[in-house]
Amino acid sequence: MADLTEVKQLIERALPGAEVEVADETGTADHLRATVRAPQFAGLSRLDQHRLVKSAVQERMDDGSIHALSLRTTALEEATT
Amino acid sequence: MSDPQLKEQVEQAIAGNPVLLFMKGTPEMPRCGFSMRVVQVLDSLGAEYGAIDVLPALEPLREVTGEISDWRTFPQLYVNGELLGGADIVEEMFESGELSEQLGLPQPDDAAPAPAQDGQGPPIQIEN
Repeated sequence: MADLTEVKQLIERALPGAEVEVADETGTADHLRATVRAPQFAGLSRLDQHRLVKSAVQERMDDGSIHALSLRTTALEEATT
Repeated sequence: MSDPQLKEQVEQAIAGNPVLLFMKGTPEMPRCGFSMRVVQVLDSLGAEYGAIDVLPALEPLREVTGEISDWRTFPQLYVNGELLGGADIVEEMFESGELSEQLGLPQPDDAAPAPAQDGQGPPIQIEN
């Protein structure tokens, strides 16, 4: 069982400026869904975007508190105008 | 450090199958919802693909794919020797039409997979 707030913070710390939402998909807090919009994703493939998020929470995957992490990533455009 | 023999087998399998899915369970009997979603996407495109059940050697295969592709979770879909992604990426690419393009297959009229059209099981979860 993972601490959703901690997971969110881990991602935000790895990707400063990111907009992160973490949801519990099953009510058991081990199958999570994260939606991450980050400026660091610009120009990266989806694979690399996912790699960045996964490496941010690797410790929680390794210790088993997260069983599954579903990801939707988008590059956050710098505000123009 | 991964088992060199296993790594070589995996590399040969990836090289020898234009479309190869590493999954938990089999296409006929997926043992994980994420693997099932990728199977359903491939089936709805009518793709021909090879499948490897990772469950009998889960941890050794994590090591191997970590070294080959820097990716340690399953499912993993490889197309022409390259890792395309896991379930989330495969679904996104399916919905956008990129997957059918990569596979050289026509995109179904309704990109959102029809619910159990041929009695093939539950629909893929599309999250938004």
